[in-house]
Amino acid sequence: MTAEQFIIDDRENNLFRVNREAFTSEDVLQRERKEIFGKTWLYVGHESEIPGKNDFQTRDVGGRPVIFNRDRHGDVRVLLNTCLHRGSSVCRHSSGNAKIFTCFYHGWAYRNSGELVNVPGNEDYKSEPAAVYKGLQSPAQVDSYRGLYFVNFDPDAPDLLTFLGEARYFIDLAADQSPEGVAILEGTHKYSLKANWKLLVENSIDGYHAKSVHHTHFEMMMELGATPPMLGKDTVNGIAPAGMGTEFPNGHATLMYPANGLPLATDSVKQTLAGLRAQAEQAFGENYANAMFGLARNSVFFPSLILIDLSFGLTLRTFYPVSASETLVTGWQIIPKGVDEEFVKYRIDNALTFWGPAGLATPDDVEALEQAQKGFGARGEVGWSDVSKGMGKPVPAANDELQMRSWWREWNRRITGEQLPTEGTSFVPFDKQGVDA
Amino acid sequence: MTSVSETPSITTRSAIEEFLFHEAGLIDRWRLEEWLDLFTLDCTYEVPATDHPDADPGLTWSLIHDGRTMLEQRVIRLKKPEAHAEFPHSQTSRIVGNVQILDETDESISVTANFIIHRAKAGKFDTYVGRYEYELVPRNSSFLIRRKRAVLAHDMLDPQGKISFII
Ligand code: FES
Ligand SMILES: [Fe+2]
Repeated sequence: MTAEQFIIDDRENNLFRVNREAFTSEDVLQRERKEIFGKTWLYVGHESEIPGKNDFQTRDVGGRPVIFNRDRHGDVRVLLNTCLHRGSSVCRHSSGNAKIFTCFYHGWAYRNSGELVNVPGNEDYKSEPAAVYKGLQSPAQVDSYRGLYFVNFDPDAPDLLTFLGEARYFIDLAADQSPEGVAILEGTHKYSLKANWKLLVENSIDGYHAKSVHHTHFEMMMELGATPPMLGKDTVNGIAPAGMGTEFPNGHATLMYPANGLPLATDSVKQTLAGLRAQAEQAFGENYANAMFGLARNSVFFPSLILIDLSFGLTLRTFYPVSASETLVTGWQIIPKGVDEEFVKYRIDNALTFWGPAGLATPDDVEALEQAQKGFGARGEVGWSDVSKGMGKPVPAANDELQMRSWWREWNRRITGEQLPTEGTSFVPFDKQGVDA
Repeated sequence: MTSVSETPSITTRSAIEEFLFHEAGLIDRWRLEEWLDLFTLDCTYEVPATDHPDADPGLTWSLIHDGRTMLEQRVIRLKKPEAHAEFPHSQTSRIVGNVQILDETDESISVTANFIIHRAKAGKFDTYVGRYEYELVPRNSSFLIRRKRAVLAHDMLDPQGKISFII
């Protein structure tokens, strides 16, 4: 990479462009590994995935193998899944329950709180490995918000709450959907894309492509008696049917729009939903309950945690690059706790019609991103992508591209050090003050 | 040690195989409306998540959990040129084997089989492998599918990335 300019942010002409090298260069990926995946807060997992003592999940977070677990006292830990001896994984299962992690290579054993407790042939060492090496390492910082656990490999990074800022209210809207809290359902969508990870960031908060890429899904919704997103008539908490995009500090962004009809909802499902809504109204006020159940939201938490909260399905996904042109995605479904089976079933079925590698929409997204990556083969001739839609509008709609520009400015700041001003002020479509009080 | 059902099956394996091969051929040839006709009205079509192959897709975040309505919609959608992941259609070739009748009553027959599906699309060649579990109901001289469950023998969908055709 010789040209150091990755984005053109032309406020005079309201043009925003991204250098396609950003999607193809291995050098850029190395910088991302250091400046982004090495220094920002990265999502690891939800507390409901390790409900009991000694439960664990193994994950790949920003390229690092980790064990996300509860130790024998019930404390949540994140341990780097690499043996201090010569590097092998100490845990090779995707999930389970274990008090001790024993490395299969030479048998060093660690307690699930990290301490190295057994070294075969210990007597052959002049200095005992346990005394020298102590135990499995953890990321520099581990913290959680509303049950979502994050790590940061940079000891100097600002804390999680500061990093999330106001954008955390969109996590609240999800976490508050049941007085008993929310949980991640069993079953994970794990799949790969032959495309750069930033294309999936863009796609996850892109309202513009919905009509073209998901045309067949919209037709299906209408056939089943539901109004597709952004095509309704109602305004919710001041958000017009076309919705709006809003940006937050640190590259987080949201697009939101009034949530429309529920396809195939039975009376019992509607009743359960009304019950959740009534409880939320009582606890947090009408305005907040409206935002929670009357608005749909796609949020990105920089760099690659996506929360899609559609009132009939709550999908969480995160993804990390394998190479400049390959990404591994993990997706989960969140469910409000304490609801009946029929409601759970309905949410699953509804969400599945759209999301996931075998859904009726996501495969088309994958196709679009893989085709874009292919198109970048011509970057020598066509060097820049356009992300200008809605730029300069006082209130960008959900199908404008403010969200992406906000994300790209943060990416650019971290990669090049260039600080560019935001386009407007952040907007939260409900009275959160009352909630905090 | 009984590995085979005590009451000998009335239905022959070759009759089941013939039905499964016919089904496979319809999907490979994209004759999806005819394929849909093989299902009962109360059918389910399931693909569990790769990390929970034994889970109930009705209560977990699976890959596919279609009832009749969604199955119809899946077929309608797949035949449209705007089903972008499948236009032009991928070419698939599937081998169904290791067919076993597990249980048989007057109303239904439970069958298991293995599958290997090769899919070619846009210069990419992917393989999907796993096990089918069927609940079939006798109909005239053949069968209808009340439940089809495709359990993938994959850790994750990599390199396949997606399941955009009928598996
Ligand atoms: S690498 Fe783990 S014991 Fe040797
Ligand atoms: Fe999409």
